[in-house]
Amino acid sequence: MKTLALMIAAVVTGIPVLAGILITLVKALDSGAWSIVLSTPGVWRALELSVATGAVATIIALAIAHVTVALAGPAHWSSQLRAAIVPLLAMPHLATAIGLALLLSPAGLIVRLLSPAVTGFQQPPDWMTIQDARGLALTVGLVVKEVPFLTFVLLGALGQVPSERLMLTCRALGYGRLKSWLVAVAPLLQRQIRLPIAAVFAFGVTNVEMAIPLGPQTPPTFGILLWQWFTASRLELQGAAYAGTVLLVGATVSGLLAGWVAGRVGNAVLGRITASGRRIVRDGWLRNAALALPLIVAVLGLGAVASLAARAGSGMWRFPRVLPDHFSWVTYSNAGSFAGAPIGMTLLTAAVVTLVAIAITLLLIELLEYSPYWRRRVGIAVFVPLVVPQFGFLFGLTWLLTRLRLEGTLLAVIWSHVVFALPYTWGILAGARASLDSRYLLAARTLGSGPMRAWWTVTAPLLLRSMLLAAAIAFTVSTALYLPTLFAGAGRVITIATEAASAAASGNLRTAAVYGALQALLPLAAFAVASVGGHVLFRRYRGVSR
Amino acid sequence: MVLSRTVACLVVAIGLGTTFCAAADPVPLQLEPSDWSAVEARARGATVYFNAWGGDEAINRYLAWTAGEVQRRYGVRLVHVKVTDVAESVTRILAEAAAGRTSGGSVDLLWLNGENFASLRRARLLYGPWADAVPNARWIDTHGNPTTVTDFTLPTEGFELAWGTARLTLFYDSAVVPIPPRDPAALLDWIRSYPGRFTYPRPPNFLGTSFLKQLLVLLVQDPAALRRPPGPDFDQVTRPLWTWLDAAHPHLWRRGRLFPPSGPAQRELLATGEVDWALAFNPAEARRAIVRGELPQTVHATSFRGGALANSHFLAIPFNTRSRDGAMVVANFLLSAEAQARKADVEVWGDPTILDLTALTVADRSRFDRTEAPDATLSDGPVIVDLHPSWMGALERAWLTRYGVR
Repeated sequence: MKTLALMIAAVVTGIPVLAGILITLVKALDSGAWSIVLSTPGVWRALELSVATGAVATIIALAIAHVTVALAGPAHWSSQLRAAIVPLLAMPHLATAIGLALLLSPAGLIVRLLSPAVTGFQQPPDWMTIQDARGLALTVGLVVKEVPFLTFVLLGALGQVPSERLMLTCRALGYGRLKSWLVAVAPLLQRQIRLPIAAVFAFGVTNVEMAIPLGPQTPPTFGILLWQWFTASRLELQGAAYAGTVLLVGATVSGLLAGWVAGRVGNAVLGRITASGRRIVRDGWLRNAALALPLIVAVLGLGAVASLAARAGSGMWRFPRVLPDHFSWVTYSNAGSFAGAPIGMTLLTAAVVTLVAIAITLLLIELLEYSPYWRRRVGIAVFVPLVVPQFGFLFGLTWLLTRLRLEGTLLAVIWSHVVFALPYTWGILAGARASLDSRYLLAARTLGSGPMRAWWTVTAPLLLRSMLLAAAIAFTVSTALYLPTLFAGAGRVITIATEAASAAASGNLRTAAVYGALQALLPLAAFAVASVGGHVLFRRYRGVSR
Repeated sequence: MVLSRTVACLVVAIGLGTTFCAAADPVPLQLEPSDWSAVEARARGATVYFNAWGGDEAINRYLAWTAGEVQRRYGVRLVHVKVTDVAESVTRILAEAAAGRTSGGSVDLLWLNGENFASLRRARLLYGPWADAVPNARWIDTHGNPTTVTDFTLPTEGFELAWGTARLTLFYDSAVVPIPPRDPAALLDWIRSYPGRFTYPRPPNFLGTSFLKQLLVLLVQDPAALRRPPGPDFDQVTRPLWTWLDAAHPHLWRRGRLFPPSGPAQRELLATGEVDWALAFNPAEARRAIVRGELPQTVHATSFRGGALANSHFLAIPFNTRSRDGAMVVANFLLSAEAQARKADVEVWGDPTILDLTALTVADRSRFDRTEAPDATLSDGPVIVDLHPSWMGALERAWLTRYGVR
């Protein structure tokens, strides 16, 4: 059982990730490639930009997520918050970034709303509000996208922490709400979400999805350089992509280590704050002020969605008009004819990926039921693809796929997507399975059911809700994935994600907006189906808790 | 049979593990009409991966229409692989050749010209010569339009089939720019007077680099120096260009620190009112955008008085294609009067045809009736045949070194 489970895990994620990393390392040994990397104008600045935007965005997003949960948790609106987050969570990075680019640009919705009444502008101002050389717009984009994710993760962790008891104790000792949360609950939550934070940081440093529409050009971030090298017309540059990947992964790992040290320092500081004994009882104004942070994020997120929808449906849109000159459904209806194939491909891929990821996860969980040691290790192993920068193994993986003559096939794309969906399905289903009351199963077995029947009649219905959530998330992950689709699909498996990225890269923002809107819609539909499906399927089990 | 000789040559080449017939170019492919129907028969059921720039919605729609037609008529499944730069596909083919993949390649048909053709041809990674054997090739206006057989000064030699022709055109908003400047010096004056209102696509974008070449041709002291590949005197020859750009950049959109990534991106800036100019290789592009309600009626076309940079764009088949017959059938269809007329229709794509209309039958000629050039297009005026392809890379590298990092 255990051996079988480990073999499955190895084939599905272990081999592609490890082989990808090893091949990348071997191919990076070429000194010519390094000299190209090091002689690229602005290469260090690019690396610095990547690390700085990733780090700053992670810190800010984490702080805002903590504030959000701290305000929502004790006020008992965490379940409403969770429901409100889902749509933002389901927005793919690329769609969010395209929407934000449309919102924040000098000809974007914000400046239009103020022009010419407040600003007096008849023409869009010549400002660098997006793609600025310091990567501020990129940082904002990452924050807007990662706050919902980290908040979601924190809310999940909240279930594992006796937050109400801790809060009650602190409040009884006379501490204000914010301080109680900061010293008693936040550190416990923080300990639970290290891996997701690492994933957020790794994504921030290495992403291209947000850097394409929002990131600077002179130089671009290092991730964009790698992406350009990989798709460059000269073969030497592909060698440079391997060497550059090693450099970027090195920087990411150093960043993670630095983050770990910073966490220790932070703990020490927190210890002092705790020990200071200051109660900070009157924190009402602070709480109100803090509420502004998640609100700003929400407004930017919603503004991005609105801009996306408006731009996707607009024909010409002269500045400073707030609404497009005319809404043309042409673009949307055309989308049907020219986006039909990519939509079909996206749905097919996402559906297969969802089924495969859920099936593998359930199988692994059952096979490892009696080996908690290996279950924990597999749990960490499937998470690796989220923490290792995608480039780190995608370059190597592409090389491997080419040798196997699998590149450009749907199989390769699905495989690469499953690698990225597994951590989420595992995270949801392993937790749900572990918290099942084992006595139900015991009762079924005692009544004479075989393991299969017991699973089918007891475990499966109890896990149904979690399965549907996991399915919706796996579906969302698959529709959002760009780099894995590009690499494993050799540019020939065309999904809405690749279409959105290629339109955004050529600056075709209207087309990008159409695909971005589609990219945002599909996951929402998936979540809606999961929610409705949950109600319908659950009718038979109305008495069952969870 | 000539065809079987070509096949034999291919087999030998695979057997030796060398690139395609490296010793000598094979004998041109010549097809009798009966052979062509055999090609069509073999093509039935094939899938053709057509790697073509996917940055323009109208072109993508045109190719989607093409896919429907070739499926219906010839049973060929055409997949448009949308690339940001066709150089990506050139790399892919080079990589496949390096990996020894002499058959079963991932690209079947390519839309390219200039540097990309030159590098594939140099590496002998193109199948051919085939272009003259395709039935509809005989309608191409090779006399009236020499760029259809000379690609950036390189003879095509049947390794690529002309598909369309282009001339660098400037579009401006006549509501803001009543009299457009038509030479580099006047344009520089305009840019200085209206800071932030001019820009050009960022090299190595094809259009951006072409704009550099256009300026270079007009600014250079000795035009003969541009007829040969760039030599050790590159810096000296190109100095006037850098002087012009150094003077212009501080007054460009975003002070020259940011450039639109492509022609359509700049067109969108013109549409929103961020800039007053856009560039295109297709003289009818603005007209098409106006018809589609994507640009204001006031946008007009112009070109430099000294001549517009002109070139043709082509279709080529990689040496390791999976479906050579399918690719040829698609290429032949793209050259048909019907497909060319639709391509020339400003409401569809608006790319001028390369066919010799006088040679067509009356019925075929009438297909082009609705493509008369309106105000926002520009169909005549002097042209400058494009430079040797190696200028492209040299100018791109020099530009990136100078302006790539700020």
